[in-house]
Amino acid sequence: SRAGGDGKPEKFQPPPKPVIIDKQKQRAERRFLSPEFIPPRGRTDPLKYYMERKDMIQRRKVFNIPEFYVGHVLAVTTADPYANNKTNRFVGICIQRGGKGLGATFVLRNVIEDQGVEICYELYSPRIQAIEVLKLEKRLDDNLMYLRDALPEYSTFDVNMKPVSRLDHEEVPVNKLQVRMKPKPWSKRWERPKFNIKGIKFELPESKMKEAQKWSQPWLEFDMLREYDTSKIEEKIWKEVNEELKK
Amino acid sequence: MMPMWTKSGKKHAVTLLKVQDCHVLRYVSKEESGGRAAKLLVGGKNVSPFFKPESACQIFKEAGVPRKQKVTTFNVTDDAIIKPGTPLYAAHFRPGQFVDVTAKTIGKGFQGVMKRWGFKGQPASHGQTKTHRRPGAISTNKASKVYRGKKMPGKMGNVYRTTFGLKVWRINTKHDIIYVNGCVPGHTNCLVKVRDSKLPTCKKHNKNPPFPTFFADGDEKLPEDLFDEEIFQFTDPSVTYT
Repeated sequence: SRAGGDGKPEKFQPPPKPVIIDKQKQRAERRFLSPEFIPPRGRTDPLKYYMERKDMIQRRKVFNIPEFYVGHVLAVTTADPYANNKTNRFVGICIQRGGKGLGATFVLRNVIEDQGVEICYELYSPRIQAIEVLKLEKRLDDNLMYLRDALPEYSTFDVNMKPVSRLDHEEVPVNKLQVRMKPKPWSKRWERPKFNIKGIKFELPESKMKEAQKWSQPWLEFDMLREYDTSKIEEKIWKEVNEELKK
Repeated sequence: MMPMWTKSGKKHAVTLLKVQDCHVLRYVSKEESGGRAAKLLVGGKNVSPFFKPESACQIFKEAGVPRKQKVTTFNVTDDAIIKPGTPLYAAHFRPGQFVDVTAKTIGKGFQGVMKRWGFKGQPASHGQTKTHRRPGAISTNKASKVYRGKKMPGKMGNVYRTTFGLKVWRINTKHDIIYVNGCVPGHTNCLVKVRDSKLPTCKKHNKNPPFPTFFADGDEKLPEDLFDEEIFQFTDPSVTYT
């Protein structure tokens, strides 16, 4: 109460209304820009990337390309003139996403009847009729080429797998699986620091691991000429792509 | 370069060529040039007029056009003469036509005989003394001289070369871009001369072009994108085989 009061009673001030913050809406809408939209560093005219982006957006309007990362299990149906039903369905784990622009590709790997099979599909090829995401999980690495030298159980996926249901607006789960490898020799020396692989359980002796560290290049992360900051470019392209897709 | 797919599902790599501020600069008649056909001088990309002498800018002043970076000549017949000063657009070409593209190749500098002429060189081991990429013998004993034009090391590249018979798949009239099949000499963003193909097999595909050229202020209104019949347009659903 105020010192040296008026004498008049104060008007009753009701307590402030509680502000309800809806946590669901506050969760920032997850922004995913497919990596092939980001132009590589070079001296090409940005007009070329603009024309490619227009074509990519046009294709995405007609055909839905879902959001997926390396490590997801996908089922792809393509048109095949030599198959029975004229369609060909392949299920596999995505081990690599490469290429920029319309030529973007992704490699799916599966082991069918004890034979490892890898197929490289082009995202924007008109022969692809459907892409379904069967299992969503990111892995610790961007490039799962080491699955070729891992035990085959890590690359086998059931061809008739049912899609695992998930809620939207949730973080994509990261599978911290450490894969066990076949005995050496491998196709590439995956223990070397240049590959920077975190998803392998190396059962090599300590001396081999120490010897592999001889090829480490600790100065690379401080090299300023290699820096390519794509955050601003991504913002612009994200806005542009979203606006076009909403039309 | 970017990929384009046909309706049968085949992929073709395509080069994008941009038509940037092209104007006709001067008409040179047959007698004046002393050749067999009349010539039209055409200029390319706009550039500032302040870094060259007045005499060099004379042609551009007469045509009423800003100074161009590149000036090329095209041999024309008498019925295809265009007035100097008219702009030329990408719609001058139509999808389905065949085209020859000329440009300066990428300069490689002074190069040895293996890279420049594709010689095989010598083996890497088995006793070769200091001889792995050399030309070997340059002439015979009987000739007792080296012939003119002998392939030897020298400056490679930075020369005008032409690729013939490239198909035009698509034309963008809004940005003046020509999508041409295959690869084209020169580095990215270099200046290029595009001409109707003179190969005899391409003559029947080049019938009925816009003659003498496509005039933007004319009656014809073109859509933004012109596609060849075989090209798969992304507005269509995916390709299926029956």
